[in-house]
Amino acid sequence: MDAPSIEIKNLSKQYDASTTYALKNLTLTVKAGEVYGFLGPNGAGKSTTIRLLMNFIRPTEGSAQIHGLDTQKDSVAVKQSIGYLASDPGLYQEMTGNQYLDYMEELQLTTNPTYRRELIQRLRAEPQKRLRTLSRGNKQKFGIIQAFMHQPRLLILDEPTSGLDPLMQEVFYELIHEAKQRGASAFISSHILSEVQKTCDRVGIIKSGQLVSEQSVTEITHKAEQLFHITFASTPPVDQLNKVLGLHIITHKGNELTIKIHGDLAPLFSVLSEHTVLKLYTRHPDLEDIFMDFYREDQEDTI
Amino acid sequence: MIPIIKWTLWQQRWSTSRWSIGVLLFIFLSLIFYPSFKNDAAELQQSFANLPDAAVALLGGSTDFFSPIGFLNSQIYFLMLPLILTVLAISVGSSLLAREEKDSTLEVLLARPVARTQLLAAKALSGFSILLTVTLIALIKILLMTPLIGLDVGLVVILQATLVCFLMVLSFASIAFSLTAIGYTRGASTGIAAIIALAGYIISSLAGTVSWLEYPARVLPFYYYQPESILLGSYNWAHILFFILLIIGCGVLSWFVFRRRDLGY
Repeated sequence: MDAPSIEIKNLSKQYDASTTYALKNLTLTVKAGEVYGFLGPNGAGKSTTIRLLMNFIRPTEGSAQIHGLDTQKDSVAVKQSIGYLASDPGLYQEMTGNQYLDYMEELQLTTNPTYRRELIQRLRAEPQKRLRTLSRGNKQKFGIIQAFMHQPRLLILDEPTSGLDPLMQEVFYELIHEAKQRGASAFISSHILSEVQKTCDRVGIIKSGQLVSEQSVTEITHKAEQLFHITFASTPPVDQLNKVLGLHIITHKGNELTIKIHGDLAPLFSVLSEHTVLKLYTRHPDLEDIFMDFYREDQEDTI
Repeated sequence: MIPIIKWTLWQQRWSTSRWSIGVLLFIFLSLIFYPSFKNDAAELQQSFANLPDAAVALLGGSTDFFSPIGFLNSQIYFLMLPLILTVLAISVGSSLLAREEKDSTLEVLLARPVARTQLLAAKALSGFSILLTVTLIALIKILLMTPLIGLDVGLVVILQATLVCFLMVLSFASIAFSLTAIGYTRGASTGIAAIIALAGYIISSLAGTVSWLEYPARVLPFYYYQPESILLGSYNWAHILFFILLIIGCGVLSWFVFRRRDLGY
């Protein structure tokens, strides 16, 4: 059996100047061939995790392995099979796109000129232009190309679609699917939830440096609360609804209510059957709702 | 390692060219007027005979400005060539790593199968090559001009003076480089290295008249750079050990800390 693509054990990081942990006891595994989404807002510890995996910073405690190799001791060997994209990719502004890609290729030692050309074509990149003359999105394309061009076994991508227009985002999602079909894995950090939902098999949600949830995208959406928008003919039965187990009223405006309910829906419909309901529609929860639930809980805890 | 050296030199190509042209112009302008007063050298020399000791010390402990060796020393080797090369050395030494770290391109390089030691060595070799190129251009210009203007100074002593000057500026570059390797910013590294260079010049110059300055001067590179002695053939060659040990020390410190430290400011 293949070693996991990523295996992180009790990884913690406390920066020298800080009294708190940027990352605390993170343990997670990314299986071979899996696309793992790492979700969290800015400052949650996503980039710290990635920087630890890439051996740019040293852990305070714990360890990480990529393809069975220690990310610190075997850093050079590990990077032979990685494609990395930083959230703000460092580019040599005075180079043209082609020069930048040549440089990266020379360092990687493995090349696939046909695939590089294909990526340039599909992302509509402009390799003859100097990087400093390109827009944020067009620079990002070169970040993506350099991460994918050697067809690595593992992609570590930090906010990969930042600055890309919707068309190019779709191309990026295709590239991820193709990499997965090829047998590659990916670890994608993002705060764009729809992106993770589209591309990932599993999602880890990180909050204040700690992993608070880790489930498959299918599982997490099934378990989530459902959202209902209800328009009553008269004043909504707020007191009755508040007694329904697992129900939260999100908004209440005149005769309209927006509620979230988790679990059995029968008690809700029992209450509704006693009143005249003019409109009722529901929306299947997406990752954004789930993600916000975690953060709402956190805010409630701190109040 | 080779690609990093290649692309670093490519990035520095215009800057290196500008420095080379600047050094060529400086040497040309410094030496070109020698023929117009070399016949009056003895009379001109007399006018400097009564300078106070402190002023003589600041001028390098010598008032010989018009003999061939005195002229070459005062115009090129005593202050201006080391000063120009020191500015270049500190600028290069403090930017090779720090600029890439600030621009996050250091992480781009280390995301590839490149060991930190290899990266450090490649950057150090790039800096060495840039300094060597500009110094060699200066040396060639001096060697070409001295016979043309009738400055009768031996080839060997010119080579020796340039070598010691190169070792001294290389030690300043090493200080600046090691400071960025251990995590100082480009500005901090430039400032600290410049203070060491400037303090070294002032303290070493005054050490001749203020006896207690002799001891602090001994830990500063400028103290061991004595161009007039080199040109006169009386230099104590054991002094170059100071530069060599300082360069090695900076290299070891850089390697030891850079391998382990967190990247990014």
